[in-house]
Amino acid sequence: MTAAITAEGLGKRYRSKWALADCTLSVPAGHVVGLVGPNGAGKTTLLGLATGMLAPSTGTIEVLGGRPGSGRAQLARVGYLAQGAPVYAGLSVADHLRLGARLNPGWDAGLARSRVERLDLDPRQKAGTLSGGQRAQLALALAVAKRPELLVLDEPVASLDPLARREFLQDLMEATADQDLSVVLSSHLITDIERVCDYLIVLAGSRVVAAGPSDELLATHRLLSGPRRDPGSLPGGVQVISASHTDVQSTLLVRSTGPVLDPVWIVSEISLEDLVLAYMSQATGRGRRNHLEVQR
Amino acid sequence: MIWLTWRQFRAQAFTAVAALAAFAILLAATGPHLVVLYAASGLSGCHPASCAGLASRWLTGLYIGHTYFMLYEFSIAVILLAPAVTGLFWGAPLIAGELETGTAALAWNQSVTRTRWLAAKLAVGGLTAMAVTEGLNLMQAWWAAPIGRAVGLGATSTFFAASRFNSFAFASHGITPLGYAAFGYALGVTAGALIRRAVPAMAVTLAIFAAAQIAMPLWIRPNLLPAEHAVVPVTSLRTITLQGGGPHSSQFHLGTENLPGQPGAWILSAGTVNAAGRATSTAPAPCTTRPSEESTHAFIECLASQGIRESVAYQPASRYWAFQWTETGIYLAAALALSGYCFWRLGRRLT
Amino acid sequence: MIEFHLDGRSGVAPYLQLIHQVRQALRLGLLHEGDRLPKVKDVSAGLAINPNTVLKAYRLLEHEGLAAARPGIGTFVTGTLDGGPLAAHGPLRRDLQRWLAKARRAGLDDESIEALFVSTFRSAAEEDIA
Repeated sequence: MTAAITAEGLGKRYRSKWALADCTLSVPAGHVVGLVGPNGAGKTTLLGLATGMLAPSTGTIEVLGGRPGSGRAQLARVGYLAQGAPVYAGLSVADHLRLGARLNPGWDAGLARSRVERLDLDPRQKAGTLSGGQRAQLALALAVAKRPELLVLDEPVASLDPLARREFLQDLMEATADQDLSVVLSSHLITDIERVCDYLIVLAGSRVVAAGPSDELLATHRLLSGPRRDPGSLPGGVQVISASHTDVQSTLLVRSTGPVLDPVWIVSEISLEDLVLAYMSQATGRGRRNHLEVQR
Repeated sequence: MIWLTWRQFRAQAFTAVAALAAFAILLAATGPHLVVLYAASGLSGCHPASCAGLASRWLTGLYIGHTYFMLYEFSIAVILLAPAVTGLFWGAPLIAGELETGTAALAWNQSVTRTRWLAAKLAVGGLTAMAVTEGLNLMQAWWAAPIGRAVGLGATSTFFAASRFNSFAFASHGITPLGYAAFGYALGVTAGALIRRAVPAMAVTLAIFAAAQIAMPLWIRPNLLPAEHAVVPVTSLRTITLQGGGPHSSQFHLGTENLPGQPGAWILSAGTVNAAGRATSTAPAPCTTRPSEESTHAFIECLASQGIRESVAYQPASRYWAFQWTETGIYLAAALALSGYCFWRLGRRLT
Repeated sequence: MIEFHLDGRSGVAPYLQLIHQVRQALRLGLLHEGDRLPKVKDVSAGLAINPNTVLKAYRLLEHEGLAAARPGIGTFVTGTLDGGPLAAHGPLRRDLQRWLAKARRAGLDDESIEALFVSTFRSAAEEDIA
């Protein structure tokens, strides 16, 4: 199966600041990929590079085996829903559908029409007067009716109320199941997208700090709590992601290839949200630092 | 792409049509009366010797009558401003507006390339801008035909552009307005692409366009073709400026508005030379001792007798169209270069 | 047609919840052999969950022999769930009561007993699935 996105040493720089650096990924197709990270971590940059809106400063990126934005064929295979669901305020809903029909050879007019009807949108209504949720739904309908292989969404539900958010994700999942789409969507809230994503990429500090199927991430990460001790005492296959200590207790988040059998640790599973937060705070250096004094 | 371009351009197109219509109505309402005035002036059957004077007096009469002079100035101004207006309001927001509102992400992620998108937008906007400006130009030329005929009969006027090479006349007649429109539009689009915000892009477009329109007549146009030179006698001169006051002063400066044997020529510069051929602005001794006050003419005669002549650099009237084509070509080339830059820039990166 | 729901806070993986609900439905008589399970598209759209999650649940049901997929048509119930013969319940209940008494005598409180039971039950269930 072709990878949805393959990046090798990808980086993007604005003047002297790197918005994204050292990004090496191989994202498989056929998944709904969640791109999570704090604001400013480089999510929009990565998505911009994947759609061809931005050109890399270093490294390479391939989307569905082709160079992003390179010609009509590549553009037809990738749909993009930018942050804020931009639509032409002065054009009506019907005009937007006409836009899609004229500019996309693979346009599915029936699908577009049925989606708009289901949303109860008046075709003559100007898109500028739509609510945030309606705009997001219209933009989604446009992106989906183009029949792409990959759908890229930048923070699609960030500014939507809970009901609009739920409805948007429902529609997205329906389209995903229907058309066998690969999806990449970004968010700064893991809770928003936990249910729909089965592959995660965690960005923090303009770098990829974790990537993999959600199942695998959950299966390989464990929370260890036990009496206070030096994290270095753990066996080799165990990598400490974050550690916090009180005077008597240590709590470690570890990534392990096998089970942790040392009876001194209480091993428990961790939620996806806490896992992502741990990676994000470790990368940005935030979170309380409790330095362990080596016990002599 | 044509559908989208037209749909987004619709409002601007209607504004242009409305403006053209308003202009047309104004000119159509006042044009016929101008023809009547011309017929009443007796210029159509004038005696060749007196035509020039009659025409000049008719034009002066129009000026004093105010209305037609104001309309004339207004119509010229409209043609001069049109390229700036279209460049500002059509060109600058083209790319900048899409980037500002974020709709660029929508437009450029359909199945058309950015190159195709830009090509359609540039073609429709640019050609319409040129058509609008040319439309205004043609309407004004029709309306001002009587004035043109008066000038053709040899009228001289400081109010109505008596020379086709006059800066305002040259820029508002012929084909130069087409070049300006293309340039203004391409300039606006480029500014928008670089600055990425519509209002600052409009300001920059206006500034650069204005600078170009000032620089061209002042420094560039006179040098587009090499000037001709002639040395002419002082007797045919009209204007005289004396420094230090009165014909008795020894410093003087002579100007010239018409060149004998070169009707309608564009005078670039004129300077006085003495008998030896060297530039001078000091009256030779005999000519400073005239006592009487109304002796300007006598002063000129004295200068002539002393061998003082006027050295003139000029462009013959026959070169009018050469200048028109050359200047238009320059502006069109600039427009193409700017467009090419936009294609290159849009093709490689974006936000 | 049964309808699924999801408890986002139960800590149980969504696919397991779906499997559990199918089994419950079978037990309660809401589903019978030959009934069609809801379409993957409808479930993922209704619950706003990843279609792969639904597919995983359906595949596991297939693996357990409770369902079978007919490509292009849907997934159908093929098996029944046995509570086991009622006769087996009595002795099992008595064994359980004896075990509980033993645990109480060993000093375990209610929470410890429940934790012990749940963790043993879960690890045994996972071993079955693997």
